[in-house]
Amino acid sequence: MARSVRHSPRLLRSLLPLSLLAVLFLALPLVGLLQGVRWTSLLSDLAAPQAREALGLSLLSSLLATALALLLGLPLAWSLARERFPGRELVRALVILPMVLPPVVGGLALLGAYGRSGGLIGGWLHQALGVQLTFSLAGVVVAQTFVALPFLVLAVEGGLRGIDPRYEQAAATLGAAPLACFLRVTLRLLLPSLAAGTALAWARALGEFGATITFAGNIEGRTQTAPLAVYLLLESQPAAAYALSFALVLLSLAVIIGLRGRWWSLGR
Amino acid sequence: MLVFTAIATGTATATAATTAATTSSSSTAASEVLTVSAAASLTGAFRELAADFRRRHPGTVVRLNLGASSSLLRQIQAGAPVDVFAAADRTSIEALRSSGHLRSQPLPLARNRLQIAVKPGNPLRLRGLADLGRAPVLALCGATAPCGRYAATALQRAGVRLERSRLSRGTDARATLLAVSRGDADAAIVYATDVRAAGRAVQGVEIAAAQNISAWYGLAIVRAGGARPIDRAFVDHATSARGQAILRRHGFAAP
Repeated sequence: MARSVRHSPRLLRSLLPLSLLAVLFLALPLVGLLQGVRWTSLLSDLAAPQAREALGLSLLSSLLATALALLLGLPLAWSLARERFPGRELVRALVILPMVLPPVVGGLALLGAYGRSGGLIGGWLHQALGVQLTFSLAGVVVAQTFVALPFLVLAVEGGLRGIDPRYEQAAATLGAAPLACFLRVTLRLLLPSLAAGTALAWARALGEFGATITFAGNIEGRTQTAPLAVYLLLESQPAAAYALSFALVLLSLAVIIGLRGRWWSLGR
Repeated sequence: MLVFTAIATGTATATAATTAATTSSSSTAASEVLTVSAAASLTGAFRELAADFRRRHPGTVVRLNLGASSSLLRQIQAGAPVDVFAAADRTSIEALRSSGHLRSQPLPLARNRLQIAVKPGNPLRLRGLADLGRAPVLALCGATAPCGRYAATALQRAGVRLERSRLSRGTDARATLLAVSRGDADAAIVYATDVRAAGRAVQGVEIAAAQNISAWYGLAIVRAGGARPIDRAFVDHATSARGQAILRRHGFAAP
């Protein structure tokens, strides 16, 4: 990529102003958001009960969703990358679907499956196990996992495909036991994409809105995550809404900085 | 999010209208576009009203922007290109008066009352507000939306205090009702007209008249550049006998 660009310096120069336009396009709304933040009361706005609870709930639920996505996603990513089975392309399409589906539709789909009244298995879950996902923290986690899982699976599958199998074969020929081979060769080579996939899944879970409000509702302190609170606080307490937005931007930035060079410097 | 969805559906309706307008009125001059922000509870009535208005004024495109009156108010104050505002309370209209956005005297449009929406068959046997303590999850409108404030008044009149941990807040009246019609909420306090519009998906339980509120709906021109004849025509149409008949059919009472 970088090399082909170096071949056409004239083209590069002519595209620079246009790139600046894209940078401005992305940066301006962020500046606009910062402009809305009331800096003098930022900390007290964040400490207000509704904001603090929403942020805490968002952190807890998104971390749980990420853990669940890892648990469910790693075996699937491995199978998609390494196994041959009929319908593999169909499974991959199914995995990508929540990524492109409007989240509200995802929420309706979740209600159709896990809703206590009218869900495919939701009624049984409630009767047999006493579990109700809607209007609960578990429901928030389910909604977030539903939208976050594809990011993890695709990143890890891509990473696994990128590993040259000869490294693993060499390790095996040199006498490494399968487990040692997996831990010391495969996992180590997979680490960058695993980290990227985990971080993207977490960020997606943290920002989830549509599926959460549709499936898990919007109960303060119980299912009202930070994005939901931002939307509802905007009318009654705009300062708190902006403070929460700022906190979400900071968290997302932390992920990007933490991942510096992990998933976009591949072409360097 | 639900407001955005409403805008999107509004736009879709407008696109459909544009195609209809271009086919039916090739002789008329450039079509005029009218953007109407209306309380979510007016959804069905205003879709019909807009269609009726288009028939009377061929070539006009009516775009509906539906949501909680409090959200619509915020959009207008932030400079949204809206021509007519139909709100579910006086407060939203008066707020626009003090911020200098009104371009006409607000006119009364309709009245509405609250009802308790429950699952079909009323499995919890709720008979009124006092029984809501038995509902595990109650859906209410956002605290700043008119239906949220009306519900708070009604609950206060009934002397019912509910734990916060059982209240789920919808972004507007229609979204709030969805929690019962599509979701697992046991009850919602919404407008009687919303319950009626939801058909068989929910059942309505009356609230005692002494506890219920009478919601005032009004509309005014808010077009930044000043009222046009077409804006006045729409307000006249909505308040005319014909427009009022449409509102009655959707369950609204006379203003």
